[in-house]
Amino acid sequence: MPKPWKAVLIHLLLAGGAFLSAMPFLWMLTTALKPESALYQPPLLFPVHFEWENFAKAWQAAPFPRFFLNSAVMTVGIVLAQTLLSAMAGYAFARMRFVGRDLLFFGVLGTMMIPFPVTLIPSFLVVNALGWIDTYNALIIPRAVSAFAIFLFRQFFLSLPRELEEAALIDGAGRLTIFFRIVLPLSTPVMAANAIFSFLFAWNDFLWPLIVTNSPDMRTVQVGLAMFQGQYGVFWTLLSAAATIVTLPAVLAFLAAQRQFIAGITNTGLKE
Amino acid sequence: MKASWLKAIVITTVVLLGLSMAQKLTFWHYWDGANGQVLQGLIERYQKEHPGVTIEAVFVPGGELLTKLQTAITAKQTPIMAISDLVAMPLLTQSGSLAPLDDFIRQSNLNLADYFPGPLVYGMYQGKRYSLPVSASDLGLFWNKNLFRQAGLDPNRPPRNWDELLRYAKQIKEKTGKWGIELFTQGGEGTTWQTQVYFWGAGAEFLNANNTAPAFNSPQGVRALQFLVDLAQKDKVAPIAPWGLFGRGEAAMVMDGSWMTQFFPQQVNFELGSAPFPYPAGGRPATNMGGEQIFIFQNADAATAKAAWDFINWFSSTPVQVEWDRGTGFLPVRRSVANDPAYRAWVSNARPLMRPFVDSMAFARPRPPVARYPQISDIFAKYVQEALLGRLSPKDALERAAQEVAPLLR
Amino acid sequence: MNGVRLQPTSTAVHRGWRRTLGELPSALLFLLPTVAVLGTFNFYPALYSLYLSLFEWNGLSPHREFVGLANYTRLLASGEFWNSLRVTLLYAGGVTLLALALGLLVAVLLNQPIRGQALYRVLYFLPVITPTVASGVVWKYLFDPTQGVVNRGLAEVGLEGPSWLSDPSWALVAVIVVGVWKRVGFNMVVYLAALQGIPKTYYEAAQLDGADSWQQFRHITLPLLAPTTFFLVVTALIDAFQVFDLVYVMTSGGPLGSTDVLGYYLYRQGFRYSELGFASAVAYVMFALIFLVTVIQFRLTRGGQDDA
Repeated sequence: MPKPWKAVLIHLLLAGGAFLSAMPFLWMLTTALKPESALYQPPLLFPVHFEWENFAKAWQAAPFPRFFLNSAVMTVGIVLAQTLLSAMAGYAFARMRFVGRDLLFFGVLGTMMIPFPVTLIPSFLVVNALGWIDTYNALIIPRAVSAFAIFLFRQFFLSLPRELEEAALIDGAGRLTIFFRIVLPLSTPVMAANAIFSFLFAWNDFLWPLIVTNSPDMRTVQVGLAMFQGQYGVFWTLLSAAATIVTLPAVLAFLAAQRQFIAGITNTGLKE
Repeated sequence: MKASWLKAIVITTVVLLGLSMAQKLTFWHYWDGANGQVLQGLIERYQKEHPGVTIEAVFVPGGELLTKLQTAITAKQTPIMAISDLVAMPLLTQSGSLAPLDDFIRQSNLNLADYFPGPLVYGMYQGKRYSLPVSASDLGLFWNKNLFRQAGLDPNRPPRNWDELLRYAKQIKEKTGKWGIELFTQGGEGTTWQTQVYFWGAGAEFLNANNTAPAFNSPQGVRALQFLVDLAQKDKVAPIAPWGLFGRGEAAMVMDGSWMTQFFPQQVNFELGSAPFPYPAGGRPATNMGGEQIFIFQNADAATAKAAWDFINWFSSTPVQVEWDRGTGFLPVRRSVANDPAYRAWVSNARPLMRPFVDSMAFARPRPPVARYPQISDIFAKYVQEALLGRLSPKDALERAAQEVAPLLR
Repeated sequence: MNGVRLQPTSTAVHRGWRRTLGELPSALLFLLPTVAVLGTFNFYPALYSLYLSLFEWNGLSPHREFVGLANYTRLLASGEFWNSLRVTLLYAGGVTLLALALGLLVAVLLNQPIRGQALYRVLYFLPVITPTVASGVVWKYLFDPTQGVVNRGLAEVGLEGPSWLSDPSWALVAVIVVGVWKRVGFNMVVYLAALQGIPKTYYEAAQLDGADSWQQFRHITLPLLAPTTFFLVVTALIDAFQVFDLVYVMTSGGPLGSTDVLGYYLYRQGFRYSELGFASAVAYVMFALIFLVTVIQFRLTRGGQDDA
């Protein structure tokens, strides 16, 4: 049905935007492959230098294996917790009727609106009082719930047709059953989207992990990246190499998650 | 009787030794890359020479060190030792969480007179000293010899005063089409600390002698700012653009830091020269100064504090500082290091570009050690920008900056 | 609101005690972890910060001086604050609207079976993944007055471009462009996920009625995406009110405060000047503003909910 010229036009449009979107990332890759002496040459989009050594140097400049392990533990913990707990909370806000629902929901939303810098010290005091400094607890539990994710899930559930749930309710199914048996299977796209955002949030988080850990053994990859952005100038080639390595898992996570955007309700048998 | 006495003494000694031997000293710093490795090397040697003392050096990114110290101090979870950029020292000394060092300095006969006066200005509070300088850096002139040649200038003769600076810059603009000099016009501390060098060179002061009122709005200050405004607006030999043109060969001269004597040679594809920054006829040589200070936290017990001091005293000693400065490229904080024959030979052979920066330490000036300095700096930079963009005359700009700064110093 | 919207069919479940208490017991079960974690690590610190906003404190000193509402009056009397608010509103408005439209456009295009779909999705999402330092460097170069692609392009068509990031009249425009660039991919992902939730049958029915693709978009897609759009607008405003790193990397709030968004203003007060009490007051004024805007939106659209 789509006419050929129309497809060409769409591709041209999409490709233009895609190029613009990819440019800084390409710059990072080519800078990672530059020798230090080419630093002041104009930015490149395609590599002409191949200084693979930069990757080895960057990798050795900090205990990255340990940093990756810590970031991985923290990220997996946060993604799992945020997805499950936020989906549950989002469902309650979207579908259940109870006193104080909207008030509580605004309270949840409100936590997103307090800028992080001013809650840093009080949050640190809480974690310190719990004795969690330098532990995975401090890295994961305070961020196990995300207001952002709750909001995302709530809005998604609102746009889901209600028929299946209504039918199950009449059949006497409990909310938990309905949630796990009916709603979650319909929610793979939004869970995938949320997993991406949770992943990026956790993987890229810098200040909180830095503040609640003291031991080098508990540090995360972003602290590793900060080592290349010193007080006396930025080591661009090494920073780019390290940033490329550190960003790779995020790209892979996105690739894996975006496949879920073709699943969803169209395959669930909800057809008239 | 006798035997039990002996036994008691032996046991006490062993226990005391054991206590002093079990010292673990955590040390927060932001020395990254090669600097961090040099530090680690020195620490390992110190530990070998002092069995029982363990120094756990923890890297904290420089931009977040103060935040980390704030949370640590508030929660009473401080390390034993830390360093800080000297600009943050007034806040830290006033926090009441640092240990005074005067007694240690006296007991160890550390000769403070050997230190350059600039860095020692920091770390004083209510007549007591809370920190010692351990590294320094300063600003100077870099120039692009290739562009000098193309413009028909002697590539080995840097400008000696402002008249020459302006003349060279014009000639470069005319002959090569490139900018004569790059100024840091992006505001913030970058603009302030470069502008201060021009001000001091012209004989202006930044704040008054006891740091209770602004002093930059003097005739000398107006003259210095006028010179910068003319470079950008009248003679158009300096661009108002993001930083980095000198490195790309788009500007022939720049004021930059001593640390760039390591980075520029690897990064630029032209021949470099360096010199003390020129000052106007009738002015005085001046440069700005940065660096780190080391200190001990108050809640360390006496034995731990002593052990920390022993390390600081060792780290501050001339031979170790020579090694430290050679490894890192930091400038000496002590005259005995700057005059050390081995150090001077190393500079001449390995880092000839650094020579003018080492010499400039003698007249390097500290930024005023006041707690609200970052705010004052931002206000000053904002009005320098107003003048550079031609929105306010230099005199008006400085008067208005002074009005805004004054309440912060009361 | 639209013919295709299916209405809830059951009223039986809302009878009896549920009328008064609602589904409180099962809601508690679903919300307990959320309330526990947010309460401990968000509400409590936020209240503590509200308390700090009544003090003058530099985050280090053992002495906190109680100053009552002085931080707030000082803030409201500060020209810098009002400038920041104006800059923030411009930034927030620009980024929110442009990124919303572009994100929806890309999502709709990429929701079709199009060649290279997965690749396009990754490329459009790259700005979200790319470290801000890298984005900042490249965009600074693109906006370079002489070397930059933007001004060279303008020169091609006979225009002399401004010196963008060094020009107080244009720096904010440049920062908004980068803000939009960074947000489109995020909006695309959320819209893509939401588009999966629209049953195909709706479109099939509309096609039988002879609706063309624009009509289908207008009468099926857009209304069914309303809750998602609400979500994106609210989160975009929240982010725009707090944006910091982009401004930090590109302009540091300059030149002359022309890009000094509230997030950056807050950073300066809290981290650079160590004025934690004052910064807390700034944070609460920001909070009040965003909260107000959100409540208004919620009332206007009922949160995208049709039975609230």
